[in-house]
Amino acid sequence: MDDHPSFRATARVLLEAEGFDVVGEAADGASALTEAGRLQPEVVLLDVQLPDIDGFDVAARLTGNDDSPVVILVSSRDSSDFGPLVTRSGARGFVPKAELSGDRLQELL
Amino acid sequence: MTGLNRALAGIALAGIIAGAAASALVVSSDHIAMPGAGVAIGLLITWSFIGTGLYAWWRRPASRFGALLAAVGFTFLLGALTSSDDPVVFTIGVLTANIYFVVFAHMLLAYPDGRLERPWHAKLIAAGYVLSVLGPLPQLLWGFTDRTIEGCQGCPESALLIEVDDTLRNIGNAVTSVIGVAIVAVVLAILIRRWRNATGPQRRGLAPVLWSGMVMLVLLAGALGTDAVGSARLTNVLGSLGLIVFASVPWVFLIGLVRSRVARAGAVSELLLRLGEAPGTGTLRCRLADALGDRSLQLVFWLDDRTCWVDSEGHVVEVPQPGHPARALTLVELEGRRVGAIVHDTTLLEEPDLLGSVAAAAGLAMENERLQAQLRARVEELRTSRARIVEASSHERRRLERNLHDGAQQRLVALSLTLRLAQGKVHAEPDRADELLAGAQKELTLALGELRELARGIHPAVLSDRGLQAALEALAGRAPIEVDLAELPSDRLPEPIEAAAYFVVAEALTNVAKYAHANQATVKVSRRNGHAVVEVADDGIGGADPDRGSGLRGLADRVSALDGRMSLDSPAGAGTRLRAEIPV
Repeated sequence: MDDHPSFRATARVLLEAEGFDVVGEAADGASALTEAGRLQPEVVLLDVQLPDIDGFDVAARLTGNDDSPVVILVSSRDSSDFGPLVTRSGARGFVPKAELSGDRLQELL
Repeated sequence: MTGLNRALAGIALAGIIAGAAASALVVSSDHIAMPGAGVAIGLLITWSFIGTGLYAWWRRPASRFGALLAAVGFTFLLGALTSSDDPVVFTIGVLTANIYFVVFAHMLLAYPDGRLERPWHAKLIAAGYVLSVLGPLPQLLWGFTDRTIEGCQGCPESALLIEVDDTLRNIGNAVTSVIGVAIVAVVLAILIRRWRNATGPQRRGLAPVLWSGMVMLVLLAGALGTDAVGSARLTNVLGSLGLIVFASVPWVFLIGLVRSRVARAGAVSELLLRLGEAPGTGTLRCRLADALGDRSLQLVFWLDDRTCWVDSEGHVVEVPQPGHPARALTLVELEGRRVGAIVHDTTLLEEPDLLGSVAAAAGLAMENERLQAQLRARVEELRTSRARIVEASSHERRRLERNLHDGAQQRLVALSLTLRLAQGKVHAEPDRADELLAGAQKELTLALGELRELARGIHPAVLSDRGLQAALEALAGRAPIEVDLAELPSDRLPEPIEAAAYFVVAEALTNVAKYAHANQATVKVSRRNGHAVVEVADDGIGGADPDRGSGLRGLADRVSALDGRMSLDSPAGAGTRLRAEIPV
């Protein structure tokens, strides 16, 4: 989930190249919630800054149930910019966009 | 009856008894030609000095002038001993008859507070006392002059007479007269210099006593001088004139005292009337200056919010500290609250009642002027802080441009070159291309880090997205020292206030980390009485200078642009506390 199409495209190529199956994309918080409900993914890669609801709120709504997906927050900012918000949101972890890779995701799963 | 009043009554009684005793001595004398006239003049002079002296003493107990005035009266009585028919008492009378005159000079030099200004003045007066006793000695040792004998038919012999020797006596007389004239001349010079150096109100206070005293001294110096050259008749005339002026001194002093009280009481009631008329800037000062008779008077106003004194234009001014030699401060209050102060000549401190009435009468008018001064000070402050904000914003743009250019932009340029190089080598030297790409990756990470840092400094995204609490938590997490977020507001504050509060805390924590040598800092942000109160305290070395660097200055401007104010409390060795209050 990211409002930048270029990052979505790059992330899809990168993750598919490393063996992940990308089932869907969304460009804002509201469609992220709808798509996640419809597609039931195992992992959601979620940008912190979305045009409507921000990533921490989306993460809070996506998680909390037994069948909830694992949420990994990504951002072009550093996790220190957000303080304790990351852990409070229910997300499994945080990966800076520049460091996104299949291996980093595997470490958190 | 207070202790002072009892003492003064005792002295008055002593004066009456001493006067009566002296009169009895004069009346019973065999050698006084017109005892009635002598007694009348003597008592008039003595009791005038003692009476006015005691009145002055009672009015201004802190001043010794009244005591000196009374002492002139008492020592004047010593002359009555010369009426005695007993040679020893008569001789003592002759030796002490002139002391009153030195007490008089002492009093003039010590006017108006009764204390001699300089140590050498005290030496001069001491020499005068010695001379007053030594002066008649030549006549007592070597026989009276013809003139003395002529004026003192039937006087007893001197108890100290050695032998009649006109030459020795005349030499002795001439020497003591010359020294006497010299001392009087120096006293006159001191008095004249004091007059020239006096301010307007001081001159008004000095005038009556100083002028009559100086005339008296001139006449006496003339008498001494003519005595030294032996013109007997002139000495008599000058001596009589001197006696008349001398007798008038306490009355002149008393009239001056009463007139100033009456005049000033009138001035205060007039002031009350005029203050009721249309108010206007500048005229209040003139009205108070008129009422207090001090043209140099200035008004200063107290600004509670900035805890400083300003003039009517709103400029910050220094006020004289207690103990200042020429200027003094009288506070003006309205309903128990300090509104301003009158800065005036120190001579007015001798009229505490007058100052009190004028200060009380001026309260409301001062408050009006204070509000105007406060407004002017505010406008002035806004003008300068606006200029600083514009300057700071332009400075910030230059800094951003330079950081972007020197940092991320340079790295991206290098990266572009590296990538092009790697592209050329992908097929021919794949290993080399690999290395170049790894280097490019590192360079890119650094560029991203710099851009992140820069963006955060401009405005942290988490602040606008998640509010002050989240932003401060993140800030505390990044700080190099332990930061305790002791209190944070539960509700969101308006965006500009949150931003100002955030940057206050950020700058404060940066300063703590850089300068304070602290282990821990505590941050509190609360809402109190319609204000957002931001406090950052540390346990470091203190002694922070509020004017250091532009960071704090810029923050103070940012806070004052929101009508708030910032204060720094940093005693050496006891930590630093930065506090900002911004109205919500």
